[in-house]
Amino acid sequence: MTDTLLQLDSLSAGYGTVDVLQDISLTLGEGEFIAVVGPNGAGKSTLFKTISGIVTPSRGTMTLRGENLLQVPAPRRPHHGIAHVPEGRQVFPTLTILENLEMGAFVNRDRAAFAQNLEKVFSWFPVLKERASQLAGTLSGGEQQMLAIGRGLIGDPAILMLDEPSMGLSPAIADEIFNRLVQIHRTGYLTVMLVEQRVAEALHFADRAYVLEAGRIILSGNTADLKNNDRIRQAYLGM
Amino acid sequence: MTMMDTLKSLTGVKRDFLHIGLFAGVYLLLALFISNSYYQLIMTIVAVWAVMGLSWNLLSGYSGLISFGHAAFFGLGAYLVALCLSVWNLSPWFTIVLATLACGLSGLLVGLPTFRLRGHYFALAMLAYPLALLYIFEWVGYQEVALPMEREAPALYMQFDNPVWHTLLALVLLVLALGISSLVANNRFGMSLLAIKLDEDAAEAAGINTLYWKLAAITVSAAIAGAAGGFYAVVLLVVTPLAVFGMLVSAQALIFAMFGGVGTLWGPVLGAFILVPLSEILYARYAADFPGIQGVVYGVAIIAVILFAPQGILWKVRALLKPDQFRILGSTASVADFGAREELLVVPPEEDETPVLAVSGLAKAFGGLQATNDLNFSVRHGELLGIIGPNGAGKTTLFNLLNGFIRPDAGEIVFRGKHLHKQRPNQRCAAGMARTFQVPKPFTHLSVLDNVVIGAYVHTRSKEEASEHASAAIHLVGLHDECHLPAANLTNKQLRLMELARALASKPTLILVDEILAGLDPDAMQEMLAVLRKVRGLGITIIIIEHSMQAMVQLVDRFVVLDHGALLAEGSPDRIVRNPDVIEAYLGKNWLDNEARDGEDAGHD
Amino acid sequence: MDGLQYLENFLQSLVAGLLMGSMYGLMCVGLTIIFGVMRVINFAQGEFMMLGMYFTYFCFAWFGTWAFFDGVWFPFMLALLAGPAMFLLGVLIHRLLINAVTGRQASQLEAGGHYAQLVLTLGIALVLQNGGLFIFGSNPVSVSNELSYSAWEWGPMVGDRVSVFVNQAQTISAILALFVVIGFGQLMGRTRLGKSLRAAADNPDAATYMGINVDRAHRVAFGFGVAITAIGGGLLASNVSFQPYIGTEYVIIMYAGVVLGGLGSVRGAFLGGLTIGVLQQVSAIILPNQLQNTVIFVCFLIIILLRPQGFFGRRERIA
Repeated sequence: MTDTLLQLDSLSAGYGTVDVLQDISLTLGEGEFIAVVGPNGAGKSTLFKTISGIVTPSRGTMTLRGENLLQVPAPRRPHHGIAHVPEGRQVFPTLTILENLEMGAFVNRDRAAFAQNLEKVFSWFPVLKERASQLAGTLSGGEQQMLAIGRGLIGDPAILMLDEPSMGLSPAIADEIFNRLVQIHRTGYLTVMLVEQRVAEALHFADRAYVLEAGRIILSGNTADLKNNDRIRQAYLGM
Repeated sequence: MTMMDTLKSLTGVKRDFLHIGLFAGVYLLLALFISNSYYQLIMTIVAVWAVMGLSWNLLSGYSGLISFGHAAFFGLGAYLVALCLSVWNLSPWFTIVLATLACGLSGLLVGLPTFRLRGHYFALAMLAYPLALLYIFEWVGYQEVALPMEREAPALYMQFDNPVWHTLLALVLLVLALGISSLVANNRFGMSLLAIKLDEDAAEAAGINTLYWKLAAITVSAAIAGAAGGFYAVVLLVVTPLAVFGMLVSAQALIFAMFGGVGTLWGPVLGAFILVPLSEILYARYAADFPGIQGVVYGVAIIAVILFAPQGILWKVRALLKPDQFRILGSTASVADFGAREELLVVPPEEDETPVLAVSGLAKAFGGLQATNDLNFSVRHGELLGIIGPNGAGKTTLFNLLNGFIRPDAGEIVFRGKHLHKQRPNQRCAAGMARTFQVPKPFTHLSVLDNVVIGAYVHTRSKEEASEHASAAIHLVGLHDECHLPAANLTNKQLRLMELARALASKPTLILVDEILAGLDPDAMQEMLAVLRKVRGLGITIIIIEHSMQAMVQLVDRFVVLDHGALLAEGSPDRIVRNPDVIEAYLGKNWLDNEARDGEDAGHD
Repeated sequence: MDGLQYLENFLQSLVAGLLMGSMYGLMCVGLTIIFGVMRVINFAQGEFMMLGMYFTYFCFAWFGTWAFFDGVWFPFMLALLAGPAMFLLGVLIHRLLINAVTGRQASQLEAGGHYAQLVLTLGIALVLQNGGLFIFGSNPVSVSNELSYSAWEWGPMVGDRVSVFVNQAQTISAILALFVVIGFGQLMGRTRLGKSLRAAADNPDAATYMGINVDRAHRVAFGFGVAITAIGGGLLASNVSFQPYIGTEYVIIMYAGVVLGGLGSVRGAFLGGLTIGVLQQVSAIILPNQLQNTVIFVCFLIIILLRPQGFFGRRERIA
């Protein structure tokens, strides 16, 4: 059995008085690749924001390797190994690719480690190496996504959280990115948590999945079992 | 009822006028009792600055457009009166009125270009006007204009031996300013300004002509400031550019209202009555040793207010006394319940076959992203059309195009037979197109009833008419019990119902409903669907954007499916849900492949 | 006057405009940094310039007679020192006052705290201005820099008549201003700190995900903005006479330069300030003294009304 890395228990969180997430319990083990799926508005992004610390939960607990993560303020969470690749990529448009990557390693001042990780990221995404001094705002959607992922990886994180990486990308490019991601997951023994709207893709690449609907987890399990589950289809399509 | 009961039950303008009368009486007594001419002068000056504060409050306190340049109008008024007297020997009795009108006009002229600017740019521009005037007047040679003493018939020139006359005149001015403020606040003028302040986009969509009201506000505000300036010149008998155009003047106009209470009738008066005597006394006693003490006092007052009581003393006191009551603005208690007269909102069926809305070739791009791509569809009268598609498909962009918040790059929108070109959202609302927003945009500091009444302004003349329509809308959506609650206290479901009511109150032919089911639990969702069916039953056409297919399938007549800004499929719910392109767009390509593969496997067993 | 005289006047004004404009440009850079990172228009920027001027003046008055500091380089060094001194003041003011109305708390305030920031800086401006009046007195003063009275002659050129006199103090000030801008550009472009400030300006949420403390970034940016403008003031102190209200006069120059260059662009702000300087000096040939500033106002209003995004800066924010 893999060790539990991240654990959420009965977590509720939201914005202002409205709780978007209700009573969420999930676990993430070392080296796992799990997916969180669900129709829009289900609260997937809010879940990530809660783990990153942007959103403070109203109830429940969150631990990382057994330690209470809720005590750690948002800017300190990267120090604990939480890397968040946000929805819509959110690169720094007026910084170059290299500078974006440097920001990804902001919390870690170790120059030698940075140089090593930079080489790794460049090997996974060669296009980033080619354009290292180009402004991030001028890249295509797919390149920006790769940059955002690279930025998440460069700090050698314990958990990489990806929020809808395929949004706005053509299926071909999205597939390429997913394949790259799986590669990185396997070779780097990286723990990945993926939020995706496109269910089939997510279930295809991940080991386990949680299905979110209206802020609650309605299903969970191995992806092999969940494929073609009628309940999922119902959640998305209504029949 | 006893007299006290009658007095207590007065609301709105009548109550304000009563208070104004009492205040004037007290002030009058004070003025007559105090014989020290220095204190008389202070009483006069205080009143003038209170008027200035009220003038600022009228524009900025109500509308939220913070003006840093009211000194421009004050100074213009002062110079006008001073110059007319010293150069042409015109009496201030006449020229103060002239100054009022001239400054009102200047307010309009300033507003026309400046209101096109948003945020910081507006503040910077307003700051520039008085400073520019300061330099111009210095250059033209009017560094110091003294009002000549009139030996014969001084009273004709507003000069008196006894300063109490000036105090009385100042009181008259103050009473007038208070009266105007009260009238504005208690009518749709004030409510429209408040709506603009609380959420300008929502106000536009609800039919409020935001530009018109802003211009009206700055015109009245500038006029009052001009009167204050003109009278100030008469009292001080000398006008210098720095004294009337300087930053301190604009700052004072601002601070009195912000200190006393933004957006209230008495706030600016309170602020002036506390701060002016304070700074005058400090100035008199310490100015020799501490030059600049006035400025420091005002600066510290501004900082203290912003840090500790950003809305001003009156609001802070109220919050302390009634900590549970949310800060609510506007006049809610005066609107009575007019019952559930749904017939007011009914849209009669159309005889001919022309669609109520027809969209052709619609396109819009943001940077490199094509948000809307050559879109064509139409909607029949009384239809309930659902627009669906995965995230990022361009649905809200479509609504913003229809509604008038953004202009298309190409294509046509024809609504009820008319092309909508440059029509702003409030004009489209007047034409019959209403809208709700994906993230609700309530006027948070107003009651539910006021929120909806504002929606009714666009098609009604009187308060009663507006209330009737609002009442009908509120009953229809089922918010009758909550109608006096502040909007900020509502749950998600109630907020969305309120937005719908606000849209209904404008007597629309078509309502654009943007993700009204988001965040609702299954019960609330059913409730909302029932309301939507009722709305549809009135003959109103509905276009609804949603993600949740589940709910939509029960509701709509027809679907239009968007993907990447273009039309993917169109048709009845049955057909759409089984359409393979649609399934692929939502669940992903692999889903169908998996299904097919599983189907084959099953078949082989 | 004949053509050559006009030419000489024009060239003289042009040179003076470029030199003074460099100092204006420096001050504009300070203002634009604050806006670019924090999205705050600081109405008190002129007052920080004034403080920089008085810092230079008083240090020069107190220490200038000491043997060690007796040299033409001293006033210039003081101007540069005004930077770190004002940086500390700026950080303090931000922590105590401005922080209260920016960031997360701001969304509770009316109109999103947007106006609260503006009004707060207005209050700070009033306090500094009038406090300065009390502390420094209202007599105009200036830093008596020997080099203010010396000039290099460039020429004679055309036909043995046209000569341009280049004021030495102004020249050195301008060169120093340029160095500071370039140095700051390097700071923003190459150091970890600078990049984190730019990242915080570009995308505060993403910056937080990276572990950048956005509130702290704002504080540092405010300190830098104030410091740089103060250095500009310190350099100007050798070239103009000033009193505590001088901030108001220069505020409009700074804003005009900043909007000309596009709010948030460092390069744009410097070029904008330079342009305003040239405009001011060249217009002195044809317009009377008092109207010079009116010209700048009119330009400012025209730019704001017609092209608020400015001319020089591109869509970039801080770089």
